[in-house]
Amino acid sequence: MTDSILSVRDLAVEFDTFGGVVKAVRNVSFDLTAGQTLAIVGESGCGKSVTVQSLMGLIPMPPGRITHGRALFKDQDLLSIGARGIRGHHMGMIFQDPMTSLNPTMRIGDQIAETLVVHKQYSRKHAQDEAVSLLARTHIPEPGRRANQYPFEFSGGMLQRAMIAQALACEPAILIADEPTTALDVTIQAQILELMQTLQQDNGMSIILITHDLAVVARMADQVAVMYAGEIVETGSVEDIFYQPAHPYNQGLQQAMTSNQQPDRVLSPIPGSPPDLFSPPKGCGYCKRCPHAMSVCAEHPPYLTAVDASSHQSRCWLHHELAPVHNNPVRRP
Amino acid sequence: MFRYIAKRLLAGVITIWFIATATFFAMHAVPGDPLMNDRAVSDEVRRNLEARYGLDKPLGEQYIIFISNMLRGDFGISFTQQNRRVNDIIREHFPVSAILGILAIIIAALGGILWGALTALYRNRLPDILIMLLVILGISVPGFVFAATGQLALVHVNAIFGVKVLPVAGWGTFSHMLMPALVLGLGTMALLTRLMRTSMIDVMGEDYIRTAHAKGLSKQRIFLRHQLRNAILPVVTVLGPQISAITTGGFVVEYVFAIPGLGRYFVQAVQQLDYTVIMGTTVFYGAFLVLMVILVDILYGFIDPRVRVSA
Repeated sequence: MTDSILSVRDLAVEFDTFGGVVKAVRNVSFDLTAGQTLAIVGESGCGKSVTVQSLMGLIPMPPGRITHGRALFKDQDLLSIGARGIRGHHMGMIFQDPMTSLNPTMRIGDQIAETLVVHKQYSRKHAQDEAVSLLARTHIPEPGRRANQYPFEFSGGMLQRAMIAQALACEPAILIADEPTTALDVTIQAQILELMQTLQQDNGMSIILITHDLAVVARMADQVAVMYAGEIVETGSVEDIFYQPAHPYNQGLQQAMTSNQQPDRVLSPIPGSPPDLFSPPKGCGYCKRCPHAMSVCAEHPPYLTAVDASSHQSRCWLHHELAPVHNNPVRRP
Repeated sequence: MFRYIAKRLLAGVITIWFIATATFFAMHAVPGDPLMNDRAVSDEVRRNLEARYGLDKPLGEQYIIFISNMLRGDFGISFTQQNRRVNDIIREHFPVSAILGILAIIIAALGGILWGALTALYRNRLPDILIMLLVILGISVPGFVFAATGQLALVHVNAIFGVKVLPVAGWGTFSHMLMPALVLGLGTMALLTRLMRTSMIDVMGEDYIRTAHAKGLSKQRIFLRHQLRNAILPVVTVLGPQISAITTGGFVVEYVFAIPGLGRYFVQAVQQLDYTVIMGTTVFYGAFLVLMVILVDILYGFIDPRVRVSA
């Protein structure tokens, strides 16, 4: 892809714990297209947060360790040590819990201005003015007065707006949003998502959206990567993922989700739980829960296979040309 | 803010009144009186003295006289030191104790914050282990041991260099103050170091520190602007009570270093049941400590914006 702004290749992250080494992220690769939104979805502990945190240099080392991989942003590897100048400048990040993600003893305006002072060498005064206009852009009423307040004087939704203002201060090319609406109630969620979309249209930035909420994905994403047990198991456009799920895990997710088209359909959960990442399975991580598992699945890890002519890919042996065609849920003629 | 301070001051005045009353009656409940120290006083002389000092009056009347004098700022004349007014004793000797105490608190607070932050940054590595070992020593060894050791150390240092690097005892110049203030502040410094270390480690794991990293700030900036201020809060909270611990605990250090502070008079007065000096020094110390705690609370409000508004 020529208009890829960020390309992650073979990223692997491990953590040393008392119980042993956790292989949290295993050989994750993806591309982020300029101006588009990539959603990374998956259940708790599948490695989606660790993936983006390693891009932002937020993995605590030790116990964390990036064992493998590259993440190229404008020809610079984000995983190398010298990438600090990019963070906060060309890449902004917002977090799950806005209530605890801002410094409680620093004025909101100062926290936003700090990024501008550090990365763009603005004067204090200039940065302060800019912070106020950023708050205005994120629809915070009375931004001039609000900039002089402290986080405890803000509500949760307003804090997330302030976080967005802070992340966007230097007009980054990429905004990483790690479960930005999980801690907010539904009406505020909708407002925050809408704000992110408007700002994306204005700035032309790309968004990496981490979430486990498929409704949020359907609303926001252009591309989707489904993660399971530290790997990307399926990736494709939002239509592909929702309407032509190719991987049995993604199919299981769709079965477990309510739908407006079929309101009477019985929801069926996926049985079992994800594998232990202390010792990842030899073959496919989903094999023990998969209703279509074959003998090869337990022995050999599947690789990402193109499902159709577009960017739709799935990590499953059922796509292999030698896989049985009869009763095959993923092979389409 | 003004209302807050006014409220705290009023509470302070009530506290001081309570201290004065409790001390007054407790002191009179102790068997004996200041005149017992004079050997072989005849009954007649004793009666005359009692009449002169007003000790023959009923206790309630004595209390009213004491309170009304106190309100006029007069604590009377010492029983045991001829013709010395209690006000003069306080005026001459308190500044010495105060300077020593304030210097000790400054050393303790700065040291505690510095060492605490350092141990948190080097958590579980050599600097941390070494400092924490010293901290345990500082908390468990009593002050007079440090006082004697500090003095001995000065003697040897002066002998080795052949010049007087720091005076071993006495009072007068800044160089006289350093060693006693250090010794006096050592226990508190150890305590604050532990507190600061825990607090700093807590702050380092907070979400807003992760945010600061995500903003691409340098480690130094995150430490100075985001971690330090938030980590100091619990340290400031205990500073008020620690000031009281240091100023009243200063007697031993003052004694060892032959410093003419108020502590010695305070203890002597209690031993000799010198009513006026006991009352004067106790009420004065009480007022001083109440004021210090209020000052620390106001200071806390400046560091933590959440306290400022809710007050």
